[in-house]
Amino acid sequence: MKREIFHSDIGESYIKATLSSGLKVYILEKPQYNSSYAIFGTKYGSIDTCFSVNGDKTRVPEGIAHFLEHKLFESEDGDAFAKYAKTGAYCNAFTSFDRTCYLFSCSDKFYENLDILLSFVQSPYFTKETVEKEQGIIGQEIRMYDDNPGWRVMFNMLKGMYHKHPVRIDIAGTVESIAQIDDQLLYKCYNTFYNPSNMFICIAGNVDAERVLKQIKDSVKPKDSIEIERINEDEPEEVVKPYVSQKLAVAQPIFCLGYKEKIETPERTLKEKVTTALLIEILAGDASPLYKKLITEGLINDEFSSEYFNGNGYAAVIFEGESNDPERVAEEIKAEVERVKAEGIDKKLFSAIRCGMYGNAIRMFDSVDGIAMQFVDCAVCDTGLFDEIKYLRSVTVDDVYRRLLKLDGEKTVLSVIKPMEEA
Amino acid sequence: MSVKNVTLSSGVEGLFIENQRFNTTLISFNFYMPLEKKRVAANALLPFILTSCSKAYPDFSRLNYKLNKLYGARLDASAEKNGDYQLLKMNISVINDRFSIDGESLIKQATDLLLGLIFEPNTENGAFLDTDLEREKRKAIEHIKGEFSEKRIYAKNRLIEEMYRGKVYGIPKCGTVSDVEAITGQSLYEAWEHLLKTAFVRVHVVGAALPAGLFEEVSDRFAKIERLDVVNCKGSRVTEFALEPYKVTECDDIAQGKLCMGFSCEMSGNDDESLPMMVMSDIFGGGPYSRLFANVREKMSLCYYCTASCIRQKGLLIVESGVEAQNCEKAQKEILNQLEIVKKGEFSDFEFESSIKSICDSLNTYNDSLTSLNNWYAIKINNTKLYSPSDIAEKIKKITKQDVIDAANGVNLHTVYKLVPKEVD
Repeated sequence: MKREIFHSDIGESYIKATLSSGLKVYILEKPQYNSSYAIFGTKYGSIDTCFSVNGDKTRVPEGIAHFLEHKLFESEDGDAFAKYAKTGAYCNAFTSFDRTCYLFSCSDKFYENLDILLSFVQSPYFTKETVEKEQGIIGQEIRMYDDNPGWRVMFNMLKGMYHKHPVRIDIAGTVESIAQIDDQLLYKCYNTFYNPSNMFICIAGNVDAERVLKQIKDSVKPKDSIEIERINEDEPEEVVKPYVSQKLAVAQPIFCLGYKEKIETPERTLKEKVTTALLIEILAGDASPLYKKLITEGLINDEFSSEYFNGNGYAAVIFEGESNDPERVAEEIKAEVERVKAEGIDKKLFSAIRCGMYGNAIRMFDSVDGIAMQFVDCAVCDTGLFDEIKYLRSVTVDDVYRRLLKLDGEKTVLSVIKPMEEA
Repeated sequence: MSVKNVTLSSGVEGLFIENQRFNTTLISFNFYMPLEKKRVAANALLPFILTSCSKAYPDFSRLNYKLNKLYGARLDASAEKNGDYQLLKMNISVINDRFSIDGESLIKQATDLLLGLIFEPNTENGAFLDTDLEREKRKAIEHIKGEFSEKRIYAKNRLIEEMYRGKVYGIPKCGTVSDVEAITGQSLYEAWEHLLKTAFVRVHVVGAALPAGLFEEVSDRFAKIERLDVVNCKGSRVTEFALEPYKVTECDDIAQGKLCMGFSCEMSGNDDESLPMMVMSDIFGGGPYSRLFANVREKMSLCYYCTASCIRQKGLLIVESGVEAQNCEKAQKEILNQLEIVKKGEFSDFEFESSIKSICDSLNTYNDSLTSLNNWYAIKINNTKLYSPSDIAEKIKKITKQDVIDAANGVNLHTVYKLVPKEVD
């Protein structure tokens, strides 16, 4: 087992260990807290629809990673929910584009809860009957998202942006695609992606790191490490179409504007992510001239937000919100990007935003779930928990300006959800 | 963790929730007003306009710039219903001074900023300025209309509206669009003065230390205001519903139907008496061990969610589910069947014990979150004693199966609200 301890001058430290099975473990002790938060995850999400192991290429139905997440809660000796019910812990799971995570939070019986987590994630049990039962429940989850305008506006935008990349498909798949899932396919995906060498455990809270490490080491079954090749077709630099719209029962239009980015290496580095987060705040954060203009002219409200959306093989800067004139908002954002490119970044604003982000990074350490979630990013992207704070101390306005120049106004997609009565 | 409660002025309390574990300190002003149709919209607009600008920061953009300079201090406003009262909150949270690179006092600056926003708004000649007023009114109206877009929330709000038709609790928390439209710069100024004169106020500090001079400053500020007819938050009227139970079905352009059922519970909203209801609601439709999850979702595969929640101040139990329109009747029948099972005490020891453990485990995590602690104490206004989350956990542990059965037997269906796709109806 390889083990490293990281310290920071804000008074926090954590352990990162890599087990002989390849499993990565991150632990931050918070002895003064009542609660703890633990995540057992795998680098496997909705975008892993085509892969190859030892030359054996497999294409699986859309939504299978999420389906597998639901089914893993059932083991031969009962379901995980029932086991957690005996300890009182809160448990849950989620699947995103590039990861699946199983988690619990508790204020008592941590080691018992960790045993349950370690055990059920490592004990797949799928049968024809249990798969069929789940199709009904997930079918309703998909239908619920069909009515969710915030979800639809985002996925419509991604469909307008990506020709080939599977980030364009809904995480849960469709009622039709999940109908093709069976127990054998689930086992195949499980055996590929739930290998310890592709997995991580992230823990923060009132725990004893030594005891936790021993417990994990004793429980995680060693498996032959495998090389997974994720097969993605080449994605053109251009967007599919610059404008997409759909009508739903909403009160006012909802929009999502995305800038598609050119992908040179599959994953974005921490520096790229933090620089982009700074850039987005400078361009459109609530202290920016653009935000002031859009609010004052009645074009956006408090729902307005922006993010750097990125993962394996995809990256986009996204602005979203509600507006009675989404086209005008998109024009204003694009014009602002070009204005700042021409005039440069306001140095005072840069310094204030950097200060704000620095404070937020420190504030994050107040929350055990925040730390555990951040560890997941560390595991998936191979970064350190204190890297953001360190980088924020050294990043310059020129770094942000250079980043700005990469935003290409010719490669944008505007997605709009319109109220039903509008033509 | 310790909690200290001091009286600062007539109807103004200071609550210091001392907790050493955080990097952050939170200061929260909580104003309590009676829910009244004629005042609800103006009251609800106040936290938002007050936290958007002030005499010192007439431009909201400069205010946001200042918050960034204070290491990302967060300013939050909200207007909620707390039983028959309106709870208007304005908070600021900021990282502790020891993290400031050049040694400036962040907490002092944040506290002064919040006091300035609440007590020195950007007004002229007894009125809020038109630009600020119109901006905040527009946002409030868009927010009210926007609830229609979130069908789960919309369905729940419609249920409450129907169930409490003609009653105080049926008033929407931010008023209606026309209530907001009617607000003028003068009427809002009058509402602000009325708030400072009559609201019951509690100032919370959650963090390692009480900011020096804060409570004294609050005392001085209120000493200068003529505090008349201060609101007495004695308690809300429980089991007060519209006379006739309703069955309401509405259509919308949606894929999935929403079923919302409102039940009346015979109980008091008091912490000492309503806890069995909290456990009953959890066994019925709380965690994954609950009757509704295990049966309506897992066994019958009818839905993704089917949950029960209890608003104890009002003796109200709500069941929410997202189901296909053709399965609505089936789901409703099963929900009522599960309620009968709980009433008869035919739930297992496993379900009972799981519920007690889950509630207690969750209550004991509250001390690890500034926001959870702030919210916990903010709604504890109708109780004679300020119980901490761990006090309540201890009380929950003493609840028996018979207490739960008794609570369940006071539960009666009142109103059913359904939102269904157009083509099915």
